[in-house]
Amino acid sequence: MHPRHIPRIVLSFFLFIFLFGGCSRVDHKQSALDPKGLVAQSQYDIFILSVWITIFLFCAVGGCLLYVLLKYRAKNQEEAMEIPSQSHGNSKIESFLILASTVILVILAVPTLQGIVLMNKVPDPDDEATLTRLNLDREQIEGAITVNVTGKRYFWVFEYPQFGIVTANELVFPVSKAIRINLTSEDVIHSFWLPKLAGKMDLMPGHENFMWFIADQEKILSRTDRDGNPYKTDVPTAMPAVFDGSMRDAVFAKQDFNATFEPVGGVFYGQCAEFCGNSHAYMSFRGLAQTDEDFGLWVERLQTAQNPNLKPSKWNSSSEYPKGSIVIAKDESLIDENSEREYRAVTDVKKGNEPSFSSGAWEKLHSDDYEIGKTIFESAQCGQCHALDRTGIGSKGPNLTLFGLRTSLAAGWMRNDRPNLIKWLQNSQDIKFGNLMWNGEGVDDKHGVRSFQPIPIDEVNDSPLKKEEKRLLNEEKKVRVNQLVTYLLEQS
Amino acid sequence: MATESVKYVAPETDTKTSSKVFPRPGQNTTGIVNWLTTIDHKKIGLMYGLASLSFLLIGGLEALLIRTQLWSHNMEVLSNRQYNQMFTMHGTTMVFLVIMPMSAAFFNYLMPLQIGARDVAFPRMNTLSLWCFIAGGIILNLSWFFTGGAPAIGWFGYAPLTDNRFAEVLMDMGPDFWIFSLQVLGIASLLASFNFITTIINMRAPGMTMMRMPLFTWMTLFVSFLLILALPAIAIALAELMFDRSYGTNFFDFLEGGKPHLWQHLFWIFGHPEVYILILPAMGIVSEIIPVFSRKPLFGYGLIVFSGAIIGFMGFAVWSHHMFTTGMGIVATSAFSILTMLIAIPTGVKIFNWIGTMWGGRIRFDPPMLFALGFITMFMIGGFTGIMHSSVPIDAQHQDTYFVVAHFHYVLIGGALFGLFAGFYFWLPKITGKMMNKSLGKFVFTLMFIGFNLTFFPMHYLGMIGQPRRTHTYNLGHGFETWNQIATIGSFILGIGVFIGFLQFVHSFCSKKLKPAGKNPWDARTLEWTLSSPVKEHNFARTPIIKARDQAWENNYGPPENHSEKVPLDDHGVHMPDRSWTPLLSGIGLLTMVLGLLFHLSLDQSGEVVRDYTVAIVGGVIFILGVILWAVEGGGGYHLFPKEEDE
Amino acid sequence: MSDAATHALDHHEPPTSTGIPNKKVLMWAFLGSDCMFFGTLISTHLIYRKISATVNGTPLDIRNIFDIELTSFSTFILLASSLFMALAVSAIHKGNLTGTRWMLFGTVVFGTIFLACQVYEFTHFVYLEGHELTLSTYQGEAHVFGSTFYVLTGTHGTHVAIGVFWLIGWLLYSFTGRMTTADAIDIECCGLYWHFVDIVWIIIFPVVYLMEYAF
Repeated sequence: MHPRHIPRIVLSFFLFIFLFGGCSRVDHKQSALDPKGLVAQSQYDIFILSVWITIFLFCAVGGCLLYVLLKYRAKNQEEAMEIPSQSHGNSKIESFLILASTVILVILAVPTLQGIVLMNKVPDPDDEATLTRLNLDREQIEGAITVNVTGKRYFWVFEYPQFGIVTANELVFPVSKAIRINLTSEDVIHSFWLPKLAGKMDLMPGHENFMWFIADQEKILSRTDRDGNPYKTDVPTAMPAVFDGSMRDAVFAKQDFNATFEPVGGVFYGQCAEFCGNSHAYMSFRGLAQTDEDFGLWVERLQTAQNPNLKPSKWNSSSEYPKGSIVIAKDESLIDENSEREYRAVTDVKKGNEPSFSSGAWEKLHSDDYEIGKTIFESAQCGQCHALDRTGIGSKGPNLTLFGLRTSLAAGWMRNDRPNLIKWLQNSQDIKFGNLMWNGEGVDDKHGVRSFQPIPIDEVNDSPLKKEEKRLLNEEKKVRVNQLVTYLLEQS
Repeated sequence: MATESVKYVAPETDTKTSSKVFPRPGQNTTGIVNWLTTIDHKKIGLMYGLASLSFLLIGGLEALLIRTQLWSHNMEVLSNRQYNQMFTMHGTTMVFLVIMPMSAAFFNYLMPLQIGARDVAFPRMNTLSLWCFIAGGIILNLSWFFTGGAPAIGWFGYAPLTDNRFAEVLMDMGPDFWIFSLQVLGIASLLASFNFITTIINMRAPGMTMMRMPLFTWMTLFVSFLLILALPAIAIALAELMFDRSYGTNFFDFLEGGKPHLWQHLFWIFGHPEVYILILPAMGIVSEIIPVFSRKPLFGYGLIVFSGAIIGFMGFAVWSHHMFTTGMGIVATSAFSILTMLIAIPTGVKIFNWIGTMWGGRIRFDPPMLFALGFITMFMIGGFTGIMHSSVPIDAQHQDTYFVVAHFHYVLIGGALFGLFAGFYFWLPKITGKMMNKSLGKFVFTLMFIGFNLTFFPMHYLGMIGQPRRTHTYNLGHGFETWNQIATIGSFILGIGVFIGFLQFVHSFCSKKLKPAGKNPWDARTLEWTLSSPVKEHNFARTPIIKARDQAWENNYGPPENHSEKVPLDDHGVHMPDRSWTPLLSGIGLLTMVLGLLFHLSLDQSGEVVRDYTVAIVGGVIFILGVILWAVEGGGGYHLFPKEEDE
Repeated sequence: MSDAATHALDHHEPPTSTGIPNKKVLMWAFLGSDCMFFGTLISTHLIYRKISATVNGTPLDIRNIFDIELTSFSTFILLASSLFMALAVSAIHKGNLTGTRWMLFGTVVFGTIFLACQVYEFTHFVYLEGHELTLSTYQGEAHVFGSTFYVLTGTHGTHVAIGVFWLIGWLLYSFTGRMTTADAIDIECCGLYWHFVDIVWIIIFPVVYLMEYAF
């Protein structure tokens, strides 16, 4: 081989590495090459078809080119000065090539059109032929779940209109049902992308878009191990229940957050795919697949939590309380004489038996830290933007109902555990610059919202007394933020 | 570039109707005044080339910063806003300040030579076009220094992100700079295009029928038509956006009745033809180079011309394939999907014909040919991934991922930039009169080819495993790191290659040691190679009479009846138009006006918005004054009496 | 102009490949481009027509704002100006300087009347009791009709204004005594522009005004 061919050889080498070596494992967390649902599978199949067409064309045309270059290269100076026959073209060959390329395009066009219809329309449950072809059951379509997704800078609102519940950033869905997704935005354009289940669709302000997907339990249970060998898992391992915290535990227990491949099969990674501003990169989300039963229980939990009629009421001396009832009553020891907390009846309680520590009929529902955290949540005005026990449609911030069941924090960016949540509350701009959570701009340091940020200690200029004072203050802040975190993480 | 052999006529026979204020510089003007007032298409081409190469370095530096930031997860080389500014500026710079003007540089320098003209139809308008381009570049890059810094809205500026309502810095001026600079650059492109169209239609040498024109000239014509028909869409969209931002109209404000969709449609009605505006010049260059280095005429000339026309025409019918994920419905997406697939056919035709040209030839692997071959292979890969994107279900996964980034860089670097570099290596000997070092050229090609593939090939894979584009960072645990690192290393290799190439080009102008090129160093085929290198001020001493398609080749090797003849010299000599200050004056007026409009808003002490148009009006008056002086000074000119062979 | 100058100018206009003067080709190319400018603006207006149809949920009858008699009159005036323009071009070709001057003058006057009508119309719309159509609002509410209407008709008005100034320029030039049949091509380009601007109005008038009465 002549040295001039070296670049080409190098390229072929890289092509080989990329195509066959690097892609031996493609089930990365957010990979479109690892479809786990019908829509994504169809997109994947068409893609693979196009890859084969491309490889064929590249070999054919590239082969021709290589042949021409090798055969007709001028081998020496004399040959370079020869004058070959000055042929101007051959209309037969040209027409043939045009025809051939048209045929190849038709091969791609037909599945493309089918794919477009599939993406945009949930099959009609009465259309037996299509259902059979797609290997779907009638009830999978008829029992479809609708989710209204609203994109906001920089998080996601998931509203389930059939159940009257709202959650944020983690889309919980049943594995066996079609999920219809209506997309809209309240500020700029975002794009909802859940690679393993469906492609993406933009969230346009003032306009509603539609997409749908359906997960495939068999595919979720099929996993690949570290060496790339396939194996099967069972349902509890792949899809732990969200409602009782098993999902969170499973994700935390098995998942090194940094692991490249997600060990829990039912966890799906999604991302905003349309540039939406400073924090665009941080606008991700998760999809959590559930069995029908677990999904039902999760919905029930959320409905209970967001039902204003089911909130515990104040203790009333003229009522009797059966065992397990929850009331709100005074606890002067908590913060000051006006503070209140939630109690649970240990036994059936008669009229006039006021909740207190001594009586034995009542017990504290939550720890002291939780109750103090709750007052901090209120005094820092978190509730102005975050709905915590209601649907809160139109709230500025993400809904925090059952926040303690969430696996991730800051729109899927980090693990939802205590250290991360503390960091987030202390200064969310450090973690996710440009996010719109109010960090207390425009108010003085005494305001509740500012009470979590540690004060920087200037080791050089601050007097020892000042340093000590600041250190004490920071300790106090740390305690407060811990109490708030307790309150939030115990929302489950 | 006059030589001794040119005899100058006495000044009193010159036309001097110019005003006293801005007297037209004489024919012997040299130095900076010569460059500022020139109306010679060759000098304008050179300035276009130099400016666009400089912007290439700026845009490349931005790209390297982007790649450094993506070296690993959660890097902090750039803040997220800085990153967003970088990719916005990188995209805008590379499209509007590098590839387009670099193509314009070649159009300007070569097209008149290829059709046997002494200049373009409207030389002063050509100069104004150059100054508008420079002004546009200045305005865009000034944005770094004012409130909010450079725009952070993406080169596509999707509404409503550009709306004041969603600005992330108070009184952010970045988008305003972006809007005005694109408008001014649009004026530059329009003026140049009108000029080229008129020149090609009207100023061909006798016998140069349309079907005898070199391919590059054909592509100039198509690109010019694309520009004049596509630019209005974005000009209006930008004007509407400007009204939205400054005067409260509601074109794109969804809360007040506007539709963000409209911006996308208008942008891409321009934006897709723009893609062909970027690639067709490179295709023209490659269509010139391959026959020369294969020593064969272009295979299927008619078909290549026709496919160029079809590509240009269909370019207006496929814009919505950039919007497959915006929810246009089944019918629209299907239609645009099929149309987009169809456009692959004329593109494929070109590739077949280039290979057909080489078939049976005597192929030499000089640097221009290497770049041309790089163009074919890389453009092919870019084209194939393009076909993938034409399929909506595939696009639903690829849209806005690194796969798309890989795709269009294969088309725009592997395609357009390689094509333009091929053009530099091919035509610089004609322009400077000196041959460049071939080994260094091959070295540059090797660096660029390896660096480019190393950078962009892994991006296909990155996109497929889920890395979204326009994100300043990515989280741990997605497996993106390794491939991003390979891409970053590749980008630096590519950057070094481009930089060495840039140095080589500049060196070939300055160096006295390089060996002279002579009239036709490559034994090339088209008319410009019958002229001396560098080309004389008057291009052709006697207008050639064209007898065949590849006239330079036919003169050397063709049958006698195909040899070109010359229109005999007459006693009028060659009329040369005068240099003029008026284009520069008008350009400065336009720049002042735009700056005045940019800074017309301010807040007074009570916080009220004050509009002050003084500077804008002054600029407008200067502009109008320039145009009036332009009209009054008339054509002007002087005569040269070159000897018969002095060309 | 000195003889030498005329001599040089002769060389400025060498026979072109097509036989059409360069300036004319340029003007046609520009008009082709300008078509796209207006095409974009008119499409914007049409796309928003449905959205403009309501204000605050109640149907909006734009007929209440329009003064169709006035606009019909100004349309007629603009069309009539085209006749003057055509006569001016014909006169300069025949070398009839006086005729050219008068016809140019007529075009300028009619163009100015059209502009005056438009200025009156705009101010009328802004201050019309109970309507107050501004760039961004209608009856004080955010609305898109004002945006599309003013920007479209305003762009057209700007074109007419540029045309009027251009014609005034030639009118003044005609008094310098230098005007010859050699300038016919410039007047003709001016005429092409003027007719184009008229034709655009012939499209805008039904699309923006008459359609409100038809559908």
